[in-house]
Amino acid sequence: MKKTLTSAATVRVAFVSLVSLGMLVPMYLLVVNAFKSQQEILANPFSPSFGTATFQYLADAWNNPDFSILKGYGVTIALVLCVNALAMAVCAPAAYVLARTPKPVSRLLLFFFVAGMFIPTQVILVPVIFVLRGIGLMGTLPGLILFMTATTIPFTLFVFFGYIRVLPRSLDEAAAIDGAGRYRTLWRIILPLMRPIVATVFILNSLSVWNDFASPQMILGPGSGVYTVTTGVYAAVGQYSTDYTKVFPTLLLAVIPILVIFVVMQRHIMSGLAAGAVKG
Amino acid sequence: MERTSVSKPRAWRDLGARVSMVVPAVLVYVALLVVPVIYAIYYSFTEYNGFPHRVPEFVGLDNYRTMFGSDDITGTMVVTAVVAVVGAVAVNLAALGLALLLRRTNRFNTFGRVVMFYPHVLSALVVGFLWQAVLGPQGVVNTMLEKVGTDSLPFLSDPDWALWSMILVIVWSLFGVQLILYLAGLQAVPADLLEAARIDGASRWQTFRAVTWPSLASTVTVAVITSGISLLKTYDVVVSLTGGGPAGSTKTLAYSILAVSFPQRDIGLASAQAVLLIVAAAVLAITVLVLRRRAEDDAESIG
Repeated sequence: MKKTLTSAATVRVAFVSLVSLGMLVPMYLLVVNAFKSQQEILANPFSPSFGTATFQYLADAWNNPDFSILKGYGVTIALVLCVNALAMAVCAPAAYVLARTPKPVSRLLLFFFVAGMFIPTQVILVPVIFVLRGIGLMGTLPGLILFMTATTIPFTLFVFFGYIRVLPRSLDEAAAIDGAGRYRTLWRIILPLMRPIVATVFILNSLSVWNDFASPQMILGPGSGVYTVTTGVYAAVGQYSTDYTKVFPTLLLAVIPILVIFVVMQRHIMSGLAAGAVKG
Repeated sequence: MERTSVSKPRAWRDLGARVSMVVPAVLVYVALLVVPVIYAIYYSFTEYNGFPHRVPEFVGLDNYRTMFGSDDITGTMVVTAVVAVVGAVAVNLAALGLALLLRRTNRFNTFGRVVMFYPHVLSALVVGFLWQAVLGPQGVVNTMLEKVGTDSLPFLSDPDWALWSMILVIVWSLFGVQLILYLAGLQAVPADLLEAARIDGASRWQTFRAVTWPSLASTVTVAVITSGISLLKTYDVVVSLTGGGPAGSTKTLAYSILAVSFPQRDIGLASAQAVLLIVAAAVLAITVLVLRRRAEDDAESIG
């Protein structure tokens, strides 16, 4: 009995190790080949080249005249921060009011918002372009920020709503007796209690904004000269996909920041995802 | 009591505050998500090339007729459906299977979870380029195959192979999310029931069927809907991995909208395709929700 149990455990560990290895191979190739010349990559894609490794190609990718990766980081980080700030600024008050309003009205509004989760957002980019053109924000960062904020509202509001609903109403009543209005109650009482859920939403929205490609590509367009990390990678790698001395270093530079953040914060990211989704 | 006798002006002021707290969210959401959907529906009945001075011309169902009559576009619908269905099944099977293996929390399992989740933090565009370098005609795998003297394999250059290669890449990059969802769901499986099943001498499979699976019902719903919807809108990977080729074998609807119909200034057709995808996403979500409700009713009638 004991023996079969341990052999089952061995098989399990071996299987999981094998899958993990498979998951890591592309990343390994990316790192190893970012330091090699084209001939070396084609001759020996798997082995690291300790003897001939060079930072030349990474430096070339960093100094690419078509796309400054440093600027790409800057634009993308600004985008992440603005979308998060705006989404939370509009969703926290709305979720608070909906969670404290008698059922039928708030149910209806909540359903109206949540329905947005089922709209494949990349697919409505074409009509969004006309709306943004109408309000004069097409091709601009504010336009992109507004659209990305709109796409994060359904999830943000839904998760906030679920969280606030569980907070005791007696908190509100106590604040009201002390003479606090709705805004002050939200700002001073409710928001501080929402810290964990705000962190979760921040992480998940940041990931989706950072990784989005279709929205910046369509809304900013190549004409604007403003690149996010993803649209910049597309511009830098898109037409040179067989020149691996461009592909590997550029991709490596594009993924380093997000991977470092992930490795440092993986526990919070993964538990946040679980907490956010299970609310559904 | 006292609360009902709050003075009228104060009640009005509170109502005003409430309304003002909801309005900004409604405004942004309606202007940039609801209005575009309405526009998409409207444009889908018109012929329009997108120039601001042109007035969209009403053509009834012409775009939908074109869409369902064009072999090219019905082909993209089939590709999209295959990606969504096969992808969702593969993602959820892989995720649930590995979640059961990684269920216990220890160092090794935590490491495994991190490794299986990490592709999700890379953008789908980067994932596509990376796998292109691995599976492409001159990619890593084919270089290695040539070195050992075997013929190279047409992962991305043969129409039949390319679709399955793309699905493999999508599953690789996506299942980590569902894995985390299932791990969270497994925590909610009642430990005493598992214990009871073990004492009664149930096999692993029986325990899974009778205890674990029913308690996972809502997790499965969430995981299937989220993976299905993200698979329906597959676009970034197509751009970077295959460019829709070879011979349109990996062209999804989202790719067709953004990379074909829109650049060709066929806004009416692009909108009709968008409406079709929105309907597909809604049908998917409603179907899964209805099935789940039925499964829950069944579970209640048993238990």
